[in-house]
Amino acid sequence: MEKLELLYEGKGKKLYSTSDKNQFIAEFKDDLTAFNAQKRSQELGKGILNNEISTIIFGELSDNGIKTHFLKKLNERDMLVKRVNIIPIEVVVRNVATGSLTKRLGIPEGRELTTPIVEFYYKNDAMNDPIINDEHAVIMGLVDKSEELETLKVQARKVNDILKPFFAKVGLRLIDFKLEFGKDQNGEIILADEISPDSCRFWDSTTGEKLDKDRFRQDIGGVKVAYEEVKNRILVLKKGYKAIVNIFLKEGVLDSAGKAVNHALGSLGFGETVNDVRIGRQIVLKVSANSKSDAEAQTRQMCESLLANTVIEDYNIEIING
Amino acid sequence: MAKRVAILQFPGTNCEFDTEYAFKKLGAETEIVWHKNEKLPENIDLIVVPGGFSYGDYLRSGAIARFAPIMKEVSEFAKNGGNVLGICNGFQILVEAHLLPGAMMRNDGLHFISKQQYLKIENNNNLFLSDMTVGEIVKAPIAHAEGKFFIDEVGLNNLKENNQILLTYCDENGNKINPNGSIEAIAGICNRERNVFGLMPHPERAIESILGSSDGVRMLQGFFK
Repeated sequence: MEKLELLYEGKGKKLYSTSDKNQFIAEFKDDLTAFNAQKRSQELGKGILNNEISTIIFGELSDNGIKTHFLKKLNERDMLVKRVNIIPIEVVVRNVATGSLTKRLGIPEGRELTTPIVEFYYKNDAMNDPIINDEHAVIMGLVDKSEELETLKVQARKVNDILKPFFAKVGLRLIDFKLEFGKDQNGEIILADEISPDSCRFWDSTTGEKLDKDRFRQDIGGVKVAYEEVKNRILVLKKGYKAIVNIFLKEGVLDSAGKAVNHALGSLGFGETVNDVRIGRQIVLKVSANSKSDAEAQTRQMCESLLANTVIEDYNIEIING
Repeated sequence: MAKRVAILQFPGTNCEFDTEYAFKKLGAETEIVWHKNEKLPENIDLIVVPGGFSYGDYLRSGAIARFAPIMKEVSEFAKNGGNVLGICNGFQILVEAHLLPGAMMRNDGLHFISKQQYLKIENNNNLFLSDMTVGEIVKAPIAHAEGKFFIDEVGLNNLKENNQILLTYCDENGNKINPNGSIEAIAGICNRERNVFGLMPHPERAIESILGSSDGVRMLQGFFK
């Protein structure tokens, strides 16, 4: 899959069209921006880390039934995603008071909220992404109907319910995060954009150390080291999967064994019923991976390099839990 | 100066000593190289990947041997123009390693075939067969279960256009026959650059008339010119 036309360049990513009209390539940039791009910098390798972190998190979410635009990680910086029309609402979920919640409303920094809050912001740089309520969103036509706002809230809370314990396992407190959603070609609302230390706040559970973009916002430094720390912590959260690989001779390649069995079935009286027999191999692997899509991606590489001879064979992969 | 020949040895290789015997008889200095070596001997003129059942033919013949440590060096050697000859399982390994095009499949009859086989020289513009005439018939044993050479149409046309088909199966009168179902009865090929060779028959088992044929000598002799 190759990048064709640059469709859009945002603060953290560039979006390219591909030969498939329903798939885009997102390229993760090294640029750092804060306060609506009034503060800018670059951190070499940040884009690579965010691509890796987002890949793991999208995989975890999709394992838990959240539909996302993630298709696969193509290389260090590029992610293949489903084409969506982005809904211009930034959906923010907060578990702990900090940032604007403290500045604007005076809730003490670090207070655990009794229940997570979901907020909507109008995604508009010229207006500094102002906070809006449901009625604003409907009146401004940001969504087609008010029920869609309910979907955004429900999905955002589900994501929080999955990610909070996920990060807690590796000593990270999920303080708050921003999500973006889009509509795919069927009109279904799915999770889009990225999930990384650019879009989340993480505090170390014991030391309280900030391991996210606040290090840049607040000039703490060590941005890349912190992002790397987040990546390394979640990378070990591997689960067991079973990868079932079925390998068959390609259509058009004569399957001598299949032919012999077909003949034998014919002489047993199944000639009328059986039209063709193809005999393949099944290889069952027990693998540890970050998610189903991670397990699949790695199994695919194994097939390409060893398990199948792609000159004569096709293969398919099924990943199941356990 | 004597030609220097490295003969690879994998777990399951069983033709390395026959190959050594044949090449020594023809005047070469030989060295058997264990698959775990990461370095080839210095100043070699040829690597032979001999026959056998490397890694028990598990998965597919040659599929696992391809990843042996020494194979990195073999690929490097071939890419720099060094001569590589794969016999039987060696041919399968070179195909799996993508040093030769195509793929190997189970024989059409699904049986292991072991017999003397007539072969036709299809091309003599290459290192080994330069002393022979096109159309000449030789005899050498075949012994394999997965010797059916397959290649797609584009690949086959490339082989033909570049005269990469070196040997085909035939009867004693030169009529094409096909013991294993190979596409166009192909028994041996070379790569486009004409430095990597693969054949299913065993010339090293046909070097003394007491063995039923000494034609293997002529099939290898070109290399010693």
